[in-house]
Amino acid sequence: MARKNGIPPQLVRLVLVTLAIIALYFTARYFMTPETFGQFGFYRGASLNEHATRPLSFAGKESCRNCHEEALQLVSQFEHKTLSCETCHGPAMSHVIDPETPLVKIEDGSCLRCHRSDPSRPSWLAQISLDDHYESDSCTDCHTPHQPNE
Amino acid sequence: MITTRVIAVRIVIPPTNRTNKVKSSITRRKLISLTGKALAGFVSLATARKAKGAVRKFMVKTPAPKGYDPTKHKWLMAFDIEQCIGCGMCVQACELENKVPPGPTYFRTWIERYVIKRRKPGSSRARGETQVDSPSGGINGFPPTSVPREEILKSFYVPKLCNLCVDSPCVQACPVGATFDAPDGVVLVDPNYCIGCGFCIQACPYGCRFMHPETGTAEKCTLCYHRITRSLLPACVEVCPTEARIFGDLKNPVDDDPLMQFIEKNKVQTLKPHLGTSPRVLYAGMDKEVR
Amino acid sequence: MMSAYEIPATDVLPQVEGYIYPNELNLLWGDLIVLYPYITGLVAGAFILASLVRVFKVKALEPTYRLALLTSLAFLLAAPLPLLFHLGHPERSLQVMITPHLSSPMAIFGFVYAWYLMAVLLLELWFDYRKDFVLWSRYTTGPKRWLYLIFTLGVTDISEESLKYDARLCNIVTIIGIPSAFLLHGYVGFIFGSVKANPWWGNVLMPIIFIFSAIVSGIALCLFLFMIISQARRLKMDMDCLDVTAKFLFYTLIIAAAIESLDWIHRLYEAEESIHIIKTLATGKLFVSIVVIQAFLGSAVPLVLLGLIQIFKKDIAARAREWIYFLSSVLILIGVLAMRWNVVIGGQLFSKSLRGFTTYKMELAMASHEGFTMSFALVLLILPFVILWVFLKLFMPVEEPGPKGEPLTRAETSA
Repeated sequence: MARKNGIPPQLVRLVLVTLAIIALYFTARYFMTPETFGQFGFYRGASLNEHATRPLSFAGKESCRNCHEEALQLVSQFEHKTLSCETCHGPAMSHVIDPETPLVKIEDGSCLRCHRSDPSRPSWLAQISLDDHYESDSCTDCHTPHQPNE
Repeated sequence: MITTRVIAVRIVIPPTNRTNKVKSSITRRKLISLTGKALAGFVSLATARKAKGAVRKFMVKTPAPKGYDPTKHKWLMAFDIEQCIGCGMCVQACELENKVPPGPTYFRTWIERYVIKRRKPGSSRARGETQVDSPSGGINGFPPTSVPREEILKSFYVPKLCNLCVDSPCVQACPVGATFDAPDGVVLVDPNYCIGCGFCIQACPYGCRFMHPETGTAEKCTLCYHRITRSLLPACVEVCPTEARIFGDLKNPVDDDPLMQFIEKNKVQTLKPHLGTSPRVLYAGMDKEVR
Repeated sequence: MMSAYEIPATDVLPQVEGYIYPNELNLLWGDLIVLYPYITGLVAGAFILASLVRVFKVKALEPTYRLALLTSLAFLLAAPLPLLFHLGHPERSLQVMITPHLSSPMAIFGFVYAWYLMAVLLLELWFDYRKDFVLWSRYTTGPKRWLYLIFTLGVTDISEESLKYDARLCNIVTIIGIPSAFLLHGYVGFIFGSVKANPWWGNVLMPIIFIFSAIVSGIALCLFLFMIISQARRLKMDMDCLDVTAKFLFYTLIIAAAIESLDWIHRLYEAEESIHIIKTLATGKLFVSIVVIQAFLGSAVPLVLLGLIQIFKKDIAARAREWIYFLSSVLILIGVLAMRWNVVIGGQLFSKSLRGFTTYKMELAMASHEGFTMSFALVLLILPFVILWVFLKLFMPVEEPGPKGEPLTRAETSA
């Protein structure tokens, strides 16, 4: 029958199979393309919100100001004014939510992490060599971290 | 909803009473139209819609962003190498904030220490060899360098993170659109869509990406997207004691914006400019040895 | 006393030399990704050999025609498996076709693969086998009969006229197939060649190197299999066919070796920023796999052996030629596998900071993840041979069902 029109039967069968495959592809595409895909570009737009809604660990300086205005005022007058509270006191989000939650304990190591003498550090930074600078048991015997110049 | 679907389907179905010029192709036409009908019918079925809902639900977990409009911001980070003291607080903060997997590998941000030695007597070069290290990414700070002080010509720390390229090779390489340049300038990975092929990691010239050992998806710095969208600083910027990391929004500069001042004041460089990735992250005071 | 404060001493990681970016410690792409271009290459190469018969009418190669096509199909079916299993999320693999990011060479994979499988290989095989399927379905019984019946797709017309169509359509498919084979493997090369971040990979010659090494490996595989199967089926070795296959193997090997040498000469002469680290790698960590196995055993030795045969063919006994062909094909197969290894693993051994190296450790133990993939890679390498064995049972039976038919020769109908 088909040969009368010059179309061999095997070709007809193949065209049908091809059409079925193409139809299958577009059906699958219809069902499987995520809803927000293409909202902003070639990606799932919803992903932005998923990233944005992750939980916090660090609360930020402004959260500390709510209760510790005085300490912030004090620090802002001295060399450590560029530091965030959480630089030394550690992530504070859990403390903001529940003030009973303690912050990390600060040891001498915390000071030395920045102030130990190191040839790779810029010269403007106050650095000490442990051997030369050994006057007391603890940094805080002589220095007040909130007023380091004093 | 279902009725709209049916109407839409009706348009799709070819009219069946069309006269067929070629007798022999009737069966073929009929078959095609039948397939079309079957397909359309399948699509309009309530079960199919449910199925689609389930597939989508599987892929999408939360609706589009609310309150924060990503098209109204353009975030950027810059580094002042002269200010970096290599304390590594930023690396630690990143790990705490973003639950970066532990170990000597896997870092969203890290610090490199460059030690450039004095030239050897008789050498034709201006400077000696360069030694670089980054013990555990600098997360615990740096132990004293193994190079004796008298041999050191120059030494400095360089913080690294995603370079926020304009022409990101990682985005170009992602086969499924799971990593992308968000409208606010942040390059993000969609962990619910990433297939974990690792091609973006190979494509990043800066080594800023890694395969998360547990989730099996690519991970990288998000500029703390969950923080900046809540008007907080990225964790690394928050804890940096020396303002070596400068962060800002190019579209919404604040009064005395540190980022604007930084851009105005400094001659800046980017990493590996010859690769044509056009990094947006800027470095001031960078040495040629930094790669 | 000062509380003890010591920053933990630099973790001296034993697998690192010099400086690498911290995220580069573990190799991302392991032996599974070595296998992927290797298997795909064999697919493309075997197909090119088959098209020598169909398009270029190389009569002597006719006994290898069906074997080459079936080999190509068997390896093509296995080709996506190493890719699939290396994914962090294999269950999401279909997204490559649902939302293909067209700027990524990897996104094209699904389409190139589907095209090559369905529009080229299966079509060509179908047209070539249609008559046999119809006949075999008449002369067999049981499940085999049903299988052959399904393969006819319900078209039982094997009149002279319709077989003519088969032959003509088959020729068209093969002509489309040759550029498709180049596309399939050139694209694999492009996946590596397009990575500008990696100076070992990012190279415009990479797709061409891949194409020619693929053709070489595919022809070598068919030569190897042809000899093995003839031996196993206790057939007289068709020396004419072997000689011609070996001749083509020799020519393509010349091209492949020349292009790869050009790549190295170009790298050394241009001597860009990365040349020091690349040189250190090639003469150090990769010396055995690149200089000894790939260049010497995998290229130079077969080139000399096959070259000598081209010159002194008449003076060398058939039995000796057989052994030389066998040895050469095995060497080439190992050499090309080493080449894939050097590209994939070698390209990840040095840091993108160009300041140091990491190490790749293969473990056979099942304990570690890497160990798992290693044993798995072996399974995946054997798998295509198993598929081929099934194909041979079904589609190249020693005794064809029915009144006529000779084993290991093409059905006359498709000529």
